[in-house]
Amino acid sequence: MNKIYFIIIPLVLVCCLLGSNPKLQTKNPKMEENMVLLQDKIKKKKMPENPYENMMQGLKCQSCHAGDYPNKNDPMLRACLRNSMLATFHFSPEGPDEVVIDAMSENYNGVAFSHKIHAQMSDMSTGCSGCHHYNTSGRLLSCLECHDSKRSREDITVPDLKAAYHRQCLTCHKQWFHENGCSTMCHTRKTSNSTGSVQSPPSVKGKTHPPLKEPMKMVWETNSETGKIVTFFHNEHNKIFNISCETCHKQDNCLKCHENKKHDDYSGTVKIKKSFENHHKACIDCHKGSSCQKCHRDSEREPFNHVQSSGWVLKSYHSQLSCAKCHGSQTPYKKLDRNCTSCHKNFITGNFEHGKAGLVLSENHKGMECISCHTGSDFSKTPECKTCHDDKSYPAQSPGKRGRK
Amino acid sequence: MKNLNRRDFFKSAALGVSLTVLGTSKAKGSDKMLSDDRLGILVDTDVCVGCRHCEWACRVAHNLPTPDLDNYSDNSVFKEYRRPDAGSLTVVNKFENEKNPLLPIHVKVQCMHCERPACVSACIVGALTKGDDGSVVWDDDKCIGCRYCMVACPFQIPTYDYDRSIDPHIRKCDLCTDRRKNDELPACVNICPNEALLFGKRDAVLAVAKTRVKRKSDVYVNHIYGEHEVGGTSWMYIARKSFDKLNMPHLAANPAPGISESIQHGIFAYFVPPVTLYALLGTIMWITKRRSGDDDELISDEEEKGKGGKL
Ligand code: SF4
Ligand code: SF4
Ligand code: SF4
Repeated sequence: MNKIYFIIIPLVLVCCLLGSNPKLQTKNPKMEENMVLLQDKIKKKKMPENPYENMMQGLKCQSCHAGDYPNKNDPMLRACLRNSMLATFHFSPEGPDEVVIDAMSENYNGVAFSHKIHAQMSDMSTGCSGCHHYNTSGRLLSCLECHDSKRSREDITVPDLKAAYHRQCLTCHKQWFHENGCSTMCHTRKTSNSTGSVQSPPSVKGKTHPPLKEPMKMVWETNSETGKIVTFFHNEHNKIFNISCETCHKQDNCLKCHENKKHDDYSGTVKIKKSFENHHKACIDCHKGSSCQKCHRDSEREPFNHVQSSGWVLKSYHSQLSCAKCHGSQTPYKKLDRNCTSCHKNFITGNFEHGKAGLVLSENHKGMECISCHTGSDFSKTPECKTCHDDKSYPAQSPGKRGRK
Repeated sequence: MKNLNRRDFFKSAALGVSLTVLGTSKAKGSDKMLSDDRLGILVDTDVCVGCRHCEWACRVAHNLPTPDLDNYSDNSVFKEYRRPDAGSLTVVNKFENEKNPLLPIHVKVQCMHCERPACVSACIVGALTKGDDGSVVWDDDKCIGCRYCMVACPFQIPTYDYDRSIDPHIRKCDLCTDRRKNDELPACVNICPNEALLFGKRDAVLAVAKTRVKRKSDVYVNHIYGEHEVGGTSWMYIARKSFDKLNMPHLAANPAPGISESIQHGIFAYFVPPVTLYALLGTIMWITKRRSGDDDELISDEEEKGKGGKL
């Protein structure tokens, strides 16, 4: 066994050295000066006006109720769906500063949990639902409502209360050990003369997390032979493409930033020597079919521009839509057929309200086939009267009344 | 008491050996129906944080010399791979997690309480037995210290207390039989802060393991170690890394008695003469003893007669 360690330890050391060699590893991204405060953005998020709107996300009545006519006396409930639902409609600033956990305080004093700072940290990854998991909308459930306080119990599908508490802490604080963490940060032994009052340890008491900043643009200089420069627009992915933080940061926990104890310094993030797959995973998960050149360029990339990348100008109506509205939820987004009818199935002769396009057709133009005027089905060009009419009255009369209806 | 045991031993030795030699040996317990209520424990290595409180609690529960709990914060023990020994019936080892070096994988090791325990079928005096609750326990009074169980166990679990070879002691996890008699959970299960050790009926525990692996298919490898290995074990494991890399032996699904039999055959292949001798001796002794019983009567008659003659 010892021999193996003689081989492993130098190997690990060599790997570490290689990993920290800037020439061999991807350089730390250049952060653009313009950062967005995440907290501001979160504060601006609005609670849904109709609470039921979100409550019903993906749920039908039948998801919870077995029968057609559930009522108060007989709600005809199915087994709870919590395991497949994740929805907590709360935001970190709403939470309390400190929570005292003392449901199991036989041997130990209660634990003062610094809720605020943790809630702030969660904003970058899973939000409230990271800890308040399997919560339906509405009020937050207390841990005790699902987790049994006795370890010896009937239903072992749900962890007991002690495990539920500890798992929340130890997922991130895995390095904590008995007298080096557990007993300094959380647990004090109950003694006959302990007052029973619980306080956060001074190191975290009243502390808030420094504002989390979201980068706008990141530029990497990679060691790739061709296309050294990779530009990543963080804000675009988040805002324009509507990708939530946890889609990419789900696996990240506090340790990612805090291992080096440089909380306020981006360069303090842990540099892990990643394999090719791991390095590209975050991107490839969505950009499956893309070529390397999509990201690897010889110079910095310009921000996303729908006209440039697709040739389709997003005008009035279309410019307000989310990408998914047209391209569907499946990423990477596919090119769409430019025929109006490929999305607007009901835009056919006799059905389309032409007024929406800014011209209410006159009686004698109303019944005509669309392509009679829009020759070649090119709806991006305004048809010219002379393609049909050699009438002398042209162009005094238009084929209808200007204006929307 | 001891005499009775010796007699038992010779009987079973003779029986065991003759069966082995005939090659018709049927493993003890393999015919026995396993109770539906038998116990199981799931070790979720992704939940275990390596605090080693289970090691501590296990020692305390078994009156083994126990360092102070505070000493268990010392991480340096993980530098070497450890196995359970006479002083600790369970140990926790640490393995690298390549995906996230900050979150290593910890794996607790102890007797697996096999459904078809090789140690039980290897034990020639019946000192190891498989209980209805699924536990495999060792009997101090019967053990003769031959250490066949140590050779037979596919997980190399039973350990031998070499300090006391006069009164031999095989040590291994006993699923905390004594604690459970008092309606208490096994000591390790009870203390684990994270409930990384899930205790219940084997079926229920297995169902939970399946759900976890399925629900977090991106985390766990699709393998419940112990579900099928050597015909199934009471302790089962799930992990984010292939079990080969966690030092868990790669074992087929055929019950371990098969293995232990082949080991026994292997051993006996070399030891046939002494073993046959044992068997012969045993049988002869058994027969002669029965005869000598008759003879005793004869002798005593004769003696009485002799005595009478003398008198
Ligand atoms: S793991 Fe080894 S000692 Fe434990 S029951 Fe199985 S064969 Fe016997
Ligand atoms: S079940 Fe009991 S004997 Fe077995 S490892 Fe746990 S504490 Fe030790
Ligand atoms: S007590 Fe639980 S968490 Fe701690 S090492 Fe043992 S199994 Fe792992």
